[in-house]
Amino acid sequence: MPTSKKLLEKSSNLKMNKYFQVAKNTWDETVSYRLNFVMWRIRVVLQIITLYFLWLSILPKDTTFLGYNQSLMLTYILGTSLLAAFVLSSRSYSVGDEINQGNLSNFLIKPINYFLYHFARDVGDKSMNIVFSIFELTILFLLLRPPIFIQTDPFFLFLFLISAILALLLYFFFNFLLGLVGFWSPEVWAPRFIFFIVITFFAGGLFPLDILPKSVFTVFQLLPFPYLLYFPLKIYLGQLPLFEIFKGLTVSFIWLILMYLLVKFIWNVGLKLYTAQGR
Amino acid sequence: MAVIEVKNLTKIFTVYQKEPGILGTFKSLFGRKYEEIKAVDNISFSIEEGELVGFIGPNGAGKTTTLKCLSGLLYPTGGVINVLGFQPWRRKADFLKKIAFVMGQKNQLWWDLPPMETFVLNKEIYGLSDEKFKKVLGDLVDLLDLSDLLKVPVKKLSLGQRMKCELIASLLHSPQVLYLDEPTIGLDVVMQKKLRDFIRDYNHKYKATIMLTSHYMADVEALARRVIIINRGRILFDGDLTSLIKKHAPYKLITLVLKEQVARQKFEKLGKIKKFSYPEVVLKVESHLSNKIAAKILENFPVDDLNIEDADIEEVIREIFQSQNE
Repeated sequence: MPTSKKLLEKSSNLKMNKYFQVAKNTWDETVSYRLNFVMWRIRVVLQIITLYFLWLSILPKDTTFLGYNQSLMLTYILGTSLLAAFVLSSRSYSVGDEINQGNLSNFLIKPINYFLYHFARDVGDKSMNIVFSIFELTILFLLLRPPIFIQTDPFFLFLFLISAILALLLYFFFNFLLGLVGFWSPEVWAPRFIFFIVITFFAGGLFPLDILPKSVFTVFQLLPFPYLLYFPLKIYLGQLPLFEIFKGLTVSFIWLILMYLLVKFIWNVGLKLYTAQGR
Repeated sequence: MAVIEVKNLTKIFTVYQKEPGILGTFKSLFGRKYEEIKAVDNISFSIEEGELVGFIGPNGAGKTTTLKCLSGLLYPTGGVINVLGFQPWRRKADFLKKIAFVMGQKNQLWWDLPPMETFVLNKEIYGLSDEKFKKVLGDLVDLLDLSDLLKVPVKKLSLGQRMKCELIASLLHSPQVLYLDEPTIGLDVVMQKKLRDFIRDYNHKYKATIMLTSHYMADVEALARRVIIINRGRILFDGDLTSLIKKHAPYKLITLVLKEQVARQKFEKLGKIKKFSYPEVVLKVESHLSNKIAAKILENFPVDDLNIEDADIEEVIREIFQSQNE
């Protein structure tokens, strides 16, 4: 039955089209604030340069610091900074405001999936950031010629990519969950602020987590946070044995499923409240 | 078959009360006082295909709540709602594709982008074909006279232009049922009239079933033959505007312009004086006596001009609400 197959194809196409359009609109929206965007990019570049020179002076050539030599440490620090811009940059925080201002209603009366809508917005946002990052990094690399570690093994690069995507999804759900606070309280900013500080530390955004005492580090590994930054970076550096990599991927995947179920559950409870109370 | 069928709809909100200040916040952490508010109280009505019904009531009467129940945004506490054969609160995609809810105070347009981008997004959301999208958009843009604004960012549009775009965004999928909640709020008189004309044309052209709430009686008067009047969650009246006047306002207003001063007392026997400021006098008289009284006035007083009018609909409704609140 070729016709029904065609129809099926068409309908699934149409379904993706709406989310593609959301991503495209997000892209356009960013461009419409040109100055804002340029300033943001400058901020990112400045941050990288500052971190770079700071660690370059802390760790002169041929010294090691807690098991990291200059090149590895620099790569870790700059890498997390970059990865953070990519992973820890979800706009789903606006969920809270949309709930509070009642704009959620606009989505509820349309045949659109609210999760996918926000995810599409993130994809639009992140794809734009990636394009510009690649551009900027190339320039910086050519100018500074930093002694950073370049992973060339496609296998590690592939696993790094997988872990980064898991991290991105995981953070998306965390952020979405914090937005759902809006169903119960108008104060959606305070928890987010605390969360962000905590997460930067626990995710290994400040230093590599394996310099912590071993017992503490073991506990950390069971939490979802190290899989946001620390874990993908360690894969990139090629410092983890295969067994560790697969263990880590499994743990973060389990966390991802748990988070998904949790967010879905909270969303349903909140939505019941919303449709009971109105806004 | 009726498009909208509502039976014994009740909606109760539970709100908690908080005393002002920090102490109040602290108290509310422990023991919260809850209060139940009946926003909609056991109402029933049904609306046929293609009808345009005005939904009137003061603030907090339950208009918006009812519309939210009918669109699936609110879960009813009691009663049965059937819209196009669906239970709205389930929000099935097939149902959502057939309705639209325009909220005068909430916008769906992307603020930083031209309205066209929102339209294209809605085209994809509702899965419209290119041809259909082009045709409907063309029609709507013509009806609203908007073609040159489609590429201007929404933030640069005036309130009225934005409202027009909101309407287009909501109507692209040619909904069979359309809820309009205060569509003319905040607009100037000219724009109000334009929107009104548009809604009427749209109703005729697409045979859409429309429910409209508004604070402005002029909106309702101009558009709806049938009105449902609601106050404190209950329906006070459901029927033709003309029969509303007959039932609740069995009187007419006689307006006359005098040629010369006449003592006020002389009019008091004829009817209730609504206004007396020389040279204009407005009398409120019973409907069946209006002709006789007018003749008497023309005979006995130096009158320049005389006019007999139906009671002002806005006033009739105000009186209904007031008498209920007393």
